[in-house]
Amino acid sequence: MNAVLTLIAKDLRIEARNRQTLGLVMVLGILIITVLGLGLGTQNNVNGFSATAVLWVAYLFSGVLCFEKTMAVERNDAVLSALLMAPIDRGVIYLAKLLGNLVLILAVAAVVTPAGVLFFGFDLSAAPITFAGVMALSILGFAAIGTLFAAMVSSSRLQGGLLAMMIFPITLPLVLVSTQLMMRTFRDGLPVSAASVGVLVAFDLIFLTVSWLVFEWVLEP
Amino acid sequence: MTQTQVQSSPRMSTPVDAAIELLDISKSIDERAILRSVTATIPSGQFVTILGANGTGKSTLLKILSTLIPPSSGELRLFGQTATATSVDLRRRIALIGHQSMLYRDLSARENLELFAKLYGVANPTARAQQMLNVIGLSARSSDPVRNFSRGMIQRVAIARALVHNPDLLLADEPFAGLDAPSIDALEHLLAQLHEAGKTIVLVNHDIEQSLRIAEHAIVLRGGRVVVDQPTHRLYEREILSEVR
Repeated sequence: MNAVLTLIAKDLRIEARNRQTLGLVMVLGILIITVLGLGLGTQNNVNGFSATAVLWVAYLFSGVLCFEKTMAVERNDAVLSALLMAPIDRGVIYLAKLLGNLVLILAVAAVVTPAGVLFFGFDLSAAPITFAGVMALSILGFAAIGTLFAAMVSSSRLQGGLLAMMIFPITLPLVLVSTQLMMRTFRDGLPVSAASVGVLVAFDLIFLTVSWLVFEWVLEP
Repeated sequence: MTQTQVQSSPRMSTPVDAAIELLDISKSIDERAILRSVTATIPSGQFVTILGANGTGKSTLLKILSTLIPPSSGELRLFGQTATATSVDLRRRIALIGHQSMLYRDLSARENLELFAKLYGVANPTARAQQMLNVIGLSARSSDPVRNFSRGMIQRVAIARALVHNPDLLLADEPFAGLDAPSIDALEHLLAQLHEAGKTIVLVNHDIEQSLRIAEHAIVLRGGRVVVDQPTHRLYEREILSEVR
């Protein structure tokens, strides 16, 4: 646990110092919201279902950039080799990277979501905590997958495009389940069922467990 | 670098114990054979240089020794134990200095050293980082980000990072590359001190004359095979040159 905290503190310290990832990712998220807003028209209020879909577009693209940037920190100057040689389980490196990514994506979501609410006039007042909870669970699964594939792709020359191509299809179940949940909540006025949340939790657990188990096999010095 | 306070290895074995045993190691990458049936034994406390032309597998061999990559076949034994990527306790006894710095460029020298001291479970990481900064003579600039350092200074921090956990086995992949003459002298001096302290050193180097001067044993690779495995006092530069061409 100490090693996880040490690595998270390192990642956050680097980010606080150069502000490269968070700054870029936030700008990208807001740009996506703006472009979608201009494209879809900002006069019509958008219900929770559409709001979730619009926000997912921003989260997905911002997330991919975030995963790439945070893994690039380890690739620069071959510092990953030093990390891999440290006497720590490689699952520790995964957990630290995942939690660091999660902090950054949630920070982006905390800015992009209100921007979307303002831009589109989303009315989330009916169930704001449900919205936040469902999106947080979905983002956890997204970060679990993104962290794993960013490590895998970082040793490839294709990077950006390849990472998006790999992550988006695998994340699709999370996107579908969360948008369906939001549709039930905001359009139909139905409460979120425990079974639906259970599906999200199950996805998260599967993604987290598999990613943690295979992480050491995908890391190449 | 200032006079170092190199610690003798508390786990130092008797000179006849093998620090490294390469047992019929082969490595292929993308179906291309890089190493072919490499067998060699390096006793604890020996200073060995690995020589060979470009592409003969020197760096690959070092990566295998550092457990960063597995061999395609054969067995690597370090300090009497079979070494794999999951050999966490063995990794505690190894250090690698590579072509690249292996340092976080946005962290300061002190932060880098403290980070790796913590990851290696070094008691009092702050004090150890300060001790290593004194050794490499960079205490005055310990708070500067590494990216602001010259190549020579970065290499000094990289060496301190590698030694922060007082390893028994130091693997160095062309550590002299890009250094100026004073830095080369200082690094040679440091390696000599580490050798005197009982550390096992494996040095990959392009400068044959320098390697034969500072190391006590040479392994020469050609086409991924060991063609020379001799004490350096029995070898001449001309002899090595004929093998590496």
